[in-house]
Amino acid sequence: MSGMGRRFFLKIASATGAAAACSPSHAPEMLVPLLNPPENMVPGKPLFYRTVCRGCGAGCGVTARSREGRVVKLEGSPDDPIGGGALCARGQAELQSLYAPDRLRGPLVRHGTELVPVPWADALAQVGALLGKLRGADGFVHGLRMLSRCEPGSTGAVQKAFVSALTPAAKARVVFEPRDLVCLRAANTQLFGKAELPVLDLSRARAVVSFGADFLETWLSPVEQARTFMAARSGADRPRLTWVGPRLSMSGANADDWLRVRPGDELQVAIELLRWLVDPANRVAHLAPEAAAIRAALPPSRMPQGISPEQIAHLGGELSVRRPSALLGPAALASGGGGTALAAAVQLTNFVLGNLGKTVLLGLSSEEDAPSAEEEVRGLLEEARRGEVKALFLHRADPLGKLPASARAEEALRKVPLIVWFGERLDATARLAQFALADHHALESFGDLEPRKGILELQQPALSPLWDTRASSQVLLDLAATLALPGIVDKDFHELSKSRWQAAAKALGAELDSPHAQRNVQARGIVVGRALAAARPLRLEALPWFLGTRVSPGDGLQLVAFATTLASADPEAPGWLREVPDALTGVSWSSWAELSPITAQRLGVKAGNLLALRTEEGATELPAVINPALHEGAVAVPQEAPELRALGAMGRAVRVERTGKTFALPLTGHASQEGRDLARVVPRDEEPKHDHDHGHKHERGGTLVPPHEHPKHRWAMSIDLDKCTGCQACVVACYAENNLPVVGPQAARDGRLMAWLRIQRSFESISPAAPAETRIAVLPSLCQHCDAAPCEPVCPVYATYHTPEGLNAQVYNRCIGTRYCANNCPYDVRVFNWADPVFVEPLQMQLNPDVSVRSKGVMEKCTFCVQRIRYAEGVARGEGREVRDGEVTPACVQTCPAQALVFGDAKDPQARVVSQQQDGRAYRLLEEVNTLPAIAYLARRGGGEP
Amino acid sequence: MSVPVAVAERMRSIDKSAEDTQQAPGLGWGALVALAVACIAIGAYSWSLIIRFGMQYTGLNRPVGWGVLITDFVFWVGIAHSGTLISAILFLFRARFRTAVYRAAEAMTVFGVMTAGLFPIIHLGRPWYAFWILPYPNQRHLQINFRSPLVWDAFAISTYFCVSAMFLLAGLMPDAAALRDGSQGLRRRFYALFAMGWRGTAEEWRHHGRAYLFFAAFATPLVISVHSVVSWDFAVSIVPGWHSTLFPPYFVAGAILSGVSMVITLLIPIRRAMKLEGLITMQHLDMLSRLVLLTSLIVTYSYSTEFLLALRGGASPERDTLLYRATGAFWPLFWLMVLGNCIGPLFLFLKRVRGSLLGLFAVCALVNVGMWLERFNIVVSSLEHNRIPFDWGAYHPRLAEIGITVGSFGWFFFWFLLFLKLLPSVSIAELKEEAAHDHHQEAAHAA
Repeated sequence: MSGMGRRFFLKIASATGAAAACSPSHAPEMLVPLLNPPENMVPGKPLFYRTVCRGCGAGCGVTARSREGRVVKLEGSPDDPIGGGALCARGQAELQSLYAPDRLRGPLVRHGTELVPVPWADALAQVGALLGKLRGADGFVHGLRMLSRCEPGSTGAVQKAFVSALTPAAKARVVFEPRDLVCLRAANTQLFGKAELPVLDLSRARAVVSFGADFLETWLSPVEQARTFMAARSGADRPRLTWVGPRLSMSGANADDWLRVRPGDELQVAIELLRWLVDPANRVAHLAPEAAAIRAALPPSRMPQGISPEQIAHLGGELSVRRPSALLGPAALASGGGGTALAAAVQLTNFVLGNLGKTVLLGLSSEEDAPSAEEEVRGLLEEARRGEVKALFLHRADPLGKLPASARAEEALRKVPLIVWFGERLDATARLAQFALADHHALESFGDLEPRKGILELQQPALSPLWDTRASSQVLLDLAATLALPGIVDKDFHELSKSRWQAAAKALGAELDSPHAQRNVQARGIVVGRALAAARPLRLEALPWFLGTRVSPGDGLQLVAFATTLASADPEAPGWLREVPDALTGVSWSSWAELSPITAQRLGVKAGNLLALRTEEGATELPAVINPALHEGAVAVPQEAPELRALGAMGRAVRVERTGKTFALPLTGHASQEGRDLARVVPRDEEPKHDHDHGHKHERGGTLVPPHEHPKHRWAMSIDLDKCTGCQACVVACYAENNLPVVGPQAARDGRLMAWLRIQRSFESISPAAPAETRIAVLPSLCQHCDAAPCEPVCPVYATYHTPEGLNAQVYNRCIGTRYCANNCPYDVRVFNWADPVFVEPLQMQLNPDVSVRSKGVMEKCTFCVQRIRYAEGVARGEGREVRDGEVTPACVQTCPAQALVFGDAKDPQARVVSQQQDGRAYRLLEEVNTLPAIAYLARRGGGEP
Repeated sequence: MSVPVAVAERMRSIDKSAEDTQQAPGLGWGALVALAVACIAIGAYSWSLIIRFGMQYTGLNRPVGWGVLITDFVFWVGIAHSGTLISAILFLFRARFRTAVYRAAEAMTVFGVMTAGLFPIIHLGRPWYAFWILPYPNQRHLQINFRSPLVWDAFAISTYFCVSAMFLLAGLMPDAAALRDGSQGLRRRFYALFAMGWRGTAEEWRHHGRAYLFFAAFATPLVISVHSVVSWDFAVSIVPGWHSTLFPPYFVAGAILSGVSMVITLLIPIRRAMKLEGLITMQHLDMLSRLVLLTSLIVTYSYSTEFLLALRGGASPERDTLLYRATGAFWPLFWLMVLGNCIGPLFLFLKRVRGSLLGLFAVCALVNVGMWLERFNIVVSSLEHNRIPFDWGAYHPRLAEIGITVGSFGWFFFWFLLFLKLLPSVSIAELKEEAAHDHHQEAAHAA
């Protein structure tokens, strides 16, 4: 202390004291524990609620995982026979529609040209007063109509009661489902006398022929169909899938054969196939006795262009041997006589082959609230146009935004004096409404649903409403009370729904006698009863009607509208569905029009060129994408594209011209795998039986560094390429579970999408001479968690390392962002944060608290959902046992409808993943770089014998 | 022994030329410094964008994680090579032509490393944590990964910087002392700093000679090692187009090629502007250009080897990457590189070109461009076409990266311009020693 004198010490001490006293003020941080914490809520402990997904009509049961009062993840409910524990991409994204920044935060009323916020009491009083004024002496509002989406449950019941109490008109309530399979309904009406949709059981089908029905993506009940079809595929007798149509959809990509026809010629293929089957010369056994009558009604033979009689005979021979089979079709947007005729031909073939009641089940369709026919919707608009509609209630129906422009919905709706709209986000129709009443999201509401006979799903709120919203049914009940409507006695929708579902559950045989039993049903969220498929007799008199229908496709280009599993083209879709690129084309954040390479060459069009499309109904402009798996007679546009409205329905002749402009299309993914054989196929007869090398076929030349020790677990995965449909549910689940930011179209153009898991699609064996030979291969790509990971040694700061459980871990806090690991990763699965993530309020409420949100400048990648591994390990430890096989599921594995992904501990000899990795089809990606990955791919099976 | 008139005359002219370079700067010099500062400002602003808003301001993406910034890094490390080569290796080989040029070359080396050393920091996602790459004691016991070539880089670059700076300062001492003794005031104190108390005693000269020899011996392996280490950034990885055992010698030869070309590119205008034609003669330039020719041939050989190895043995990611480099999106850059690095220097076989300032300047300037492009092609094309074709992508540099590149030139030339005016750009002491040596030989010969 020689340098420090007494005075100096005092100076220092006083200076530091003063500095400490005036330290810069922080914003006060409140950490006040709840005085009376809500029951069951333990910070850090997830709660699970059972409810039902309303993303489409399939009605999969879901489990909502809630943390500290916020739902952070949706997963399929394992008790649900429809979804079977899986959830599709759209189902996963329901969460983002809950937290959508543009959701209505309260009721709005028209004030001049604008919709302005209004208190609920005022809004209800005003609607009540207006309805009161419209009421005639008989107490009816004669011009009252309601347009609702399909509501097979209490909500629908309330709506029906409300409408019928206010108007005596029949069909005053119209059910508007623009994506409903209207053609199939119409065909079933004609053939079997009932406007119903079938339920498919593909697990028994030994052959499936799809006439444009994307049954693994959006068609009917895709999650269920993917599960049952792929379950059959993994069996000893692998069913064959034949795709008939001008465009290979993702479902078509899973097919073993492709009958590549001009748009519209599917009908001709179906009829020629039917003719072959009922032809006595072909001696098909066990046909329905009506076969002779059908044969007599068939029109003269006409082979569709590009299809040979041998191909029909081949397919017919396959179907005659492989019984039962399932014929599916047509596509959702098929319309008009051609579509219905195709549906009828398909169903008739199912009938003749005896598939009905085995794989294609009739009589199970819910009769609660069937969608109205297209004519009824148009009829309602026609009434409005004539000025006969005085008050229109819209419940989650957007005729203006969803019907083609030719329906002239705007003109009609402008003539309606009172439009009361219920929904979550303002759509095109809501902008014409007098009242826009904010509805709860499905995850905030009570309700019940009968998606099909024998199944009752309970809709139960998983969080309290985020905003000042009210259930539309409650609003209707309140209005009924205000207007003192006769016949509506219930005041509370929750009570009404409860008594309704309890009655329905009892009818299904559920025990509800004690409160405990009631709670059990609510905890399961689902009641499954017995329902048997009905046998339907064929109405022979219907045959001449459709068999006489002829579609003669023109020689020019025709419009094909197709469904996508995601919604890149839909401006109203949640960010996840827009950002994750369409699996086939690689487009995100945009609409597009697909041309075949031949057509593109003829027109001199390159990808990204803006095309002018013109049909007799209208014209629009769309950027071009070249699709090698498209017939040269077709122009394909995704059905979500708003531009499609101008062009009208499918099958229209369309003229395509270049505009000379280009559009910066966010497009990812090279088209070909350049012969590198990454997504492999094994021919059926060459399939090896068992592999003792665990898929590591490559000569292991030894490594300088000894392999890692894994004392307890070595987490591993297997991915069955024969089962992967490319639906991308896993991709969206990964976004949800791991707080991946949505980065927007510009970042997508720049190649900076943040996905940890991607479906890598490649078009194979493309040759202009044989376009029907085009094959599409898909390869889910994620971190391979290599034992000899090339990313690990190059990191200068040990931000990435190998854990004792075999995970390739990334320490975000330690990462300085050299990006060397990403360069050195042969699988390109590492993702860099090019900017700070943005979660627009209140999307941040969806963030999973178990996963950190990464800042700009750090590298991230798949962790095998380490937080879920830790959670399962914690649960096991709490119960004093080891982790069971199948207990740990990363988000991707959990949600896979086809169950193509298997996860487990490679050190557990009983684990499913071990037997999968020892399968003869197992191989590792890029074995030549000797990274010893933890993921084994199972090669897709080749076609094999018919 | 009396000093003959001719020798005294020669010594005086050396003094005169050297002192002339220290005269008050002209308008042109001021304008150049202002330009350099402006370039630095552009670079600093560009970097600030990246720091504030993230690497989105670059053209980088998945799969191209490195681009222009790493290209710049390798380029400037390459530029930093000639100095030590000329001063140390040629000193050990007693190549006399180095005397007149080594000081400028050494300064170029130090400033080149100073520039290069910025880029590993600039290109980081989180540059504020750049110090984590150094092994410093910390209470969390966090270590660095000695297996990572980036750690080797940090050591190699910092070692190289220290040694080349010391080498420059050691050589500078006698000259700084001479200038100190001839000046007054602030100038005198400035030179005194660099003279480090040099008095010119026999003892000091003896120690200086030994120390200089020691540094030369110490620096020589560094010339080889530094760029070998830099090449390992690529060669140690498993990226097709990077993963090659050829890289270390290939990069060292390329570095010498680019470094010597940069020396010539700078010396030609300097000797003209500072009237050093008497000291830096055409003979010096001729010798340097032979070095360019030699290393260019090595580089050409390396290119051919790289391609022949990749093309041999059927389809492979290496072959695809190399073919893509020559025929893909950046094919004009590839062939411009071949023109600059392989074809242009062949003209140096002609004595006429070696003797023409304009021809020499053109060839060497083109080599500089070609060598920058070489690094760009290696870095970018390999990453664009990695092993998974689905991820094949494209990289286009953005303004921020170009701004930083411009800034790096500004930074380099700013220091170099200061050096030219503030310190002797030729070695007075060694030139005099040489002149005296010549005289002795002549005298001995005459005797």
